[in-house]
Amino acid sequence: MSAPGYTNLNSSVSYSQNSTPNGGAAPPYQNGPTQAYQSMNPPPGCYGAPPQQQSYPTTPAHSTPAPGKASITKSAHSANYYQSNHQPQQQQHHHIPQHHVAPSPYNVPSSQSYATHPSSGPPPSNAQYNQQQQQQQQPPYATPGSYYGQQLYYPPPGQHSSQQQQQQQQQPTLVTAPASGPGAPLYPIVSYPSAPGSSQYGTLSSTQSTSTPGVMPTQMGAPLHQYNTSRPASTTAVQPGYNAAPPSQLAPTVNGQGSTAHQHYDQSHQASLSYNSYGGVTHSSGSTETDRPPSGTPSTSVHSSPGHQQGVQYGYVANSGASSAPATTSGPAAAPSSSSSEDEDDDDEEEDEEAGGDTSSSSTGSASPVPNSYDSLEGGNFPDSMPSSNDMTNQAASYGSYGYSSMQPAYHQGPASHADSSPSHDPYGQSSYQQYSQPFPNLSQLSAALGGLSGVPELEVEALRPVNLLQERNLLPPRPLEAPEPNLSPELKKVNCSPQTFRCTLSSIPQTQALLNKARLPLGLLLHPFRDLQQLPVITSNTIVRCRSCRTYINPFVTFLDQRRWKCNLCYRVNDVPDEFMYNPVTRLYGEPHRRPEVQNATVEFIASSDYMLRPPQPAAYLFVLDVSHNAVEAGYLKYFCDSLMENLDRLPGDSRTRVGFLTFDNTIHFYNLQEGLSQPQMLVVSDIDDVFIPSHDSLMVNLKESKELVKDLLTSLPAMFSQSRETHSALGPALQAAFKLMSPTGGRVSVFQTQLPTLGAGALQSREDPNQRSSSKGVQHLGPATDFYKKLALDCSGQQIGVDLFLLSSQYADLASISCISKYSAGSIFYYPSFHYIHNPAQLEKFQKDLERYLTRKIGFEAVMRIRCTKGLSIHTFHGNFFVRSTDLLSLANVNPDSAFAVQMSIEDSLADSSLACFQAALLYTSSKGKRRIRVHTLCLPVVNQLSDVYAGADVQAVTCLLANMAIDRSITSSLSDARDALVNAVVDLVSAYKSNVSNLLQSGLVVPAAMRLFPVFILALLKQKALRTGTSTRLDERVFAMCEFKTQPLQQLMRMVHPDLYRLDNMSDQGALHLNDTVVPQPHLLHLSAERVSRDGAFLMDCGTVFYLWVGKCCNEMFIRDVLGYPNYASIPPNMSHIPELETTLSERVRALLDWLQDNRAFCSTIHVVKDDTSAKATFFQHMVEDRSESASSYHEFLQHVQQQMSK
Amino acid sequence: MIALTMIARVADGLALAASIQEDEQSGRDLQQFQSQAKQLFRKLNAQSPDRCTLEAGDMNFHYVIAQGVCYLCLCDSAFPKKMAFAYLEDLHSEFYEQYGKKVPTITRPYSFIEFDTYIQKTKKSYIDSRARKNLSSISTELQDVQRIMVANIEEVLQRGEALSDLDNKASNLFGMSQKYRSDAKYLNTRSTYAKVAAVSVFFLTLIIYVRFWWL
Repeated sequence: MSAPGYTNLNSSVSYSQNSTPNGGAAPPYQNGPTQAYQSMNPPPGCYGAPPQQQSYPTTPAHSTPAPGKASITKSAHSANYYQSNHQPQQQQHHHIPQHHVAPSPYNVPSSQSYATHPSSGPPPSNAQYNQQQQQQQQPPYATPGSYYGQQLYYPPPGQHSSQQQQQQQQQPTLVTAPASGPGAPLYPIVSYPSAPGSSQYGTLSSTQSTSTPGVMPTQMGAPLHQYNTSRPASTTAVQPGYNAAPPSQLAPTVNGQGSTAHQHYDQSHQASLSYNSYGGVTHSSGSTETDRPPSGTPSTSVHSSPGHQQGVQYGYVANSGASSAPATTSGPAAAPSSSSSEDEDDDDEEEDEEAGGDTSSSSTGSASPVPNSYDSLEGGNFPDSMPSSNDMTNQAASYGSYGYSSMQPAYHQGPASHADSSPSHDPYGQSSYQQYSQPFPNLSQLSAALGGLSGVPELEVEALRPVNLLQERNLLPPRPLEAPEPNLSPELKKVNCSPQTFRCTLSSIPQTQALLNKARLPLGLLLHPFRDLQQLPVITSNTIVRCRSCRTYINPFVTFLDQRRWKCNLCYRVNDVPDEFMYNPVTRLYGEPHRRPEVQNATVEFIASSDYMLRPPQPAAYLFVLDVSHNAVEAGYLKYFCDSLMENLDRLPGDSRTRVGFLTFDNTIHFYNLQEGLSQPQMLVVSDIDDVFIPSHDSLMVNLKESKELVKDLLTSLPAMFSQSRETHSALGPALQAAFKLMSPTGGRVSVFQTQLPTLGAGALQSREDPNQRSSSKGVQHLGPATDFYKKLALDCSGQQIGVDLFLLSSQYADLASISCISKYSAGSIFYYPSFHYIHNPAQLEKFQKDLERYLTRKIGFEAVMRIRCTKGLSIHTFHGNFFVRSTDLLSLANVNPDSAFAVQMSIEDSLADSSLACFQAALLYTSSKGKRRIRVHTLCLPVVNQLSDVYAGADVQAVTCLLANMAIDRSITSSLSDARDALVNAVVDLVSAYKSNVSNLLQSGLVVPAAMRLFPVFILALLKQKALRTGTSTRLDERVFAMCEFKTQPLQQLMRMVHPDLYRLDNMSDQGALHLNDTVVPQPHLLHLSAERVSRDGAFLMDCGTVFYLWVGKCCNEMFIRDVLGYPNYASIPPNMSHIPELETTLSERVRALLDWLQDNRAFCSTIHVVKDDTSAKATFFQHMVEDRSESASSYHEFLQHVQQQMSK
Repeated sequence: MIALTMIARVADGLALAASIQEDEQSGRDLQQFQSQAKQLFRKLNAQSPDRCTLEAGDMNFHYVIAQGVCYLCLCDSAFPKKMAFAYLEDLHSEFYEQYGKKVPTITRPYSFIEFDTYIQKTKKSYIDSRARKNLSSISTELQDVQRIMVANIEEVLQRGEALSDLDNKASNLFGMSQKYRSDAKYLNTRSTYAKVAAVSVFFLTLIIYVRFWWL
């Protein structure tokens, strides 16, 4: 079955997740029995066989391995799966078995169905796509008033339930309406076709059909039953229209649609496209999907769908016009005139005009213009799209297929618009019909206009497509998710801050807190301010231009009122442009303040003047505090640490002032005098750990350059010095106090290596973990610190600009929850190597060495502070990360490193109605290791929207997940773990019910979320199964606490990989769509869902968990792969704990290594790779990441969805 | 005891290098001296005396200006003046050799912060009492330090402040007189308008009276 799975992925590229060959094949079969099938037959005949050929052959191409055998098993498997999981949904339940049971019919019926829509094959999905998206658009339009004023994001249980009740009350009416009316009989028809796809197809078609009722009322304001009655008529009517419509005429329409579709595609999926191999695939994908359209579309009311589209699009444009309108109005009002501001305003106006023009024309126009639009369409797009598929790249091909795909809708439209007189329309009533037909004519214009509009609307439309989670199974995009692009004008988009640095959970900021509450999504920022950057404009100037009232740094989003004045984009104060700023150092011209690098880049770095210094910049100072107790010697880390430091001594960031120091401790504290001129290092032992003092003042922290020989001496002798140590106690607290005293004159970085629970002196701890409670599902104790000693010390350190980094290499419980405070509040980082041992655990050792190398050589900023400013009306209320909040919005970071990230939660205090953009600025002031004071400024600009649908369209599911994770961690520490877990589940429930009640208006009972958030439940489920938050599975307390620390500090990309690893199949990678980077070809395999059903024994799969790669080799894996990549003759000879990929000369090996390197490329810490054989015990570690499957204590994805559904209806 | 050493460009008071003081007595106190030093750098100009000692409580600032660069250190008042100036001279010769040519061109504060290493080493040798003896014999020619001007740091800083105070007051006065002037003008015009209005009203009534009742 692997084959279908794969095909699936390939094909799904285009729309991200809709087609399984299986599903594709099945529909026809299913159709047979149903009414719909009958109706469908004619069309196939009409269109002839050619499509058949086209579509069919392609499928095999994708499906790589043994389709026959594999597929059967798999289908059976999936069938079971469905049966077990889908029970509540009767429809599906019916269909699926059918669908799977008869794989053989596959060919025959399918070909027919394919034939039906030769060209339209792929489009159908697209068409539905469009429709749905547009429908989505609709709701806000129609139902602005209907919402519950829910104020809390996480409502307390009581309130929550009441809300749910409320929702429930509404739901019944919504849901039952369609079924109860005359429309009820229809339902089956509609659903049947969809059922085949069940997993994916089903969703689409059924959502479409079911959704239609929902939309109709809103659009027409007609009662539900009216619609229902009309329905039957429409179905019958469809057929004729279908047949009758002359192909030639159809084509143009199709095109028209196609053109819009193109746009969608282009803009929304650009990224994915570029990766994906479309060459031949597109065709096949199209073909595989073909069935879906026929099955779904015919049965649904045909003309209504066109109506939808038009109406919707129409509505949408109007919307956009409306939303942009405030911008223009506010523009003139606030900013009378200025060059740059005019530019922006112009843009807005243009948009408005375009939108306005469209709307007006559409409203005036009637059916007559139709021919025109056809003409223009014909002339323009159709020819284009065709050739393009041939002579252009893969992308172009997809393009072509898209044109086709769009046919379906257009097709429907055709009949609808022409057949005014057809009975089917009558029920709608004249007026409503008119409404629909009007937009139709200028579809082409519309699409053109939309194209001119920077394409954002389509993007949103895509993001808003409702996705029924219970039916749609292939949710993952083929390539890792990208951040959604904010809906901004191209110029602003171009200069906006990179999403890797600065990301907002909602890329469209809601206008008011009420709207935010309605959306039930958290508003917050995730930032990675000190990220390693490829290029960074560094600006040296005497005056750093800042707003006089809010101190915002000048940035690309300010407006220049004229040459001499600029308006702050955060507080709207008008400031003067200083003389110096008039000169542009880049172009060497005078009088171009808006061309300065500060105004051209959203990320810049200023060299600060002495106003930004409280004291002369400190030298880079590194103190290493090493545990040398018996336990540490046993673990054997010291030698590797010394070796690593020795190697990297010259690469430590710093200048000629760099200072280093060493301090070791067991039950006493040892200092090392490394004063220049000594013949060898001198050890000074302080055994009074109750009152630690520094034995010598100026010789313990020494200049690295001058004492390098002594330092090297020490590093060589240190491992041997304590090899005989029998001392088992550890005086970590006093050692830290000593370190604090030693470092306080300068500040700097303290690296603590600890291997056991601190047992002596201040800060001694007791073991708090009860091993029997590790897997308890009740709740986890002791997540908080046992003593505030470490926190207090950390705050002292922070005050003296000392950052403490903690390396915990412990096999026993070491109470990380308490010790980690030392790093948490001093802006340090935490590393944890559970059960580290230099012989028994080579994997940890390798990781330790690699981490250490990165740690020692990475950039570092000293005595740093960070401030985040945001547009007036927004306020930041909670910060997440490692730092100390000095004043309300000033984060004090003793050290800042390029690998730590921060998150903030925000609320909207005042309405943002008077501005169309919201901006956020993070400014990080730090001292570089070279003693330069610098300010790194990042500015992010996002649009403000007033429609709930726009908010959803801009939701960034990854950012939301990460922010929620941070919030959940806080919750689990302050309250309890189960509370945090409930809150996460409630987040999903809230989102789905909020979406359902406010936006979707769909009358179906499934779990419907906007496409932008379709992965949200998966991510939340993954989060619940993460070490930090899981219950029921045995988890060591330290590991759990460490995972929590990671959540707080890891950058988003890394975090997402840890939560929801990327799974790829390696043994059948093709070069299609591969990246070509300096002579190396990096294949781009598709992402797979994290479910055991996606993994087959005859394959090899790579799982990218962020910090570690697992290469899982199946038992029946292709021997060629094993030989070419792993260098072993067969499966049996692969050693059980292989942890590297040999460099072989074969192409496959090169490809695999290229992929690994590429994945590795932009992450800070080197990830280790483990080759996991199917039959080893290590298999469990691989499969524990399969978050969509049920585990011993946690539910599967489907069970989770059902749970959510239950919660909703509670 | 040398608590603080700073090097700055005289022309604009831009700090070039400094030595981080490491002491238990660091903290607020030193912070205050540091800001005084910064103010002092801003006050200094080409006309300032080349060598000067400024008293600040129980501490003394000593500075030397040479080749447009000011070398300043903060010592206990008990610390021999001779030593302090020898120390500054020492810094000067080394600094000038290393960075002298670059001084006028740089714009970033603390551009030569790496000089800190040398400062610390030198400082150590001057503070160390054993080494001091050797040094003192070498620098006997610096006897004339006795004649170096002594002033109080407060005074030096105050002097400038008093002047700027005066300046402020004068400009305030100027502003106020301007305001008075414009106000007076305004009043004048207003009264003129009033007069004109009265007269015109009178004539208007006259005309109306003549037009309707006279005839």
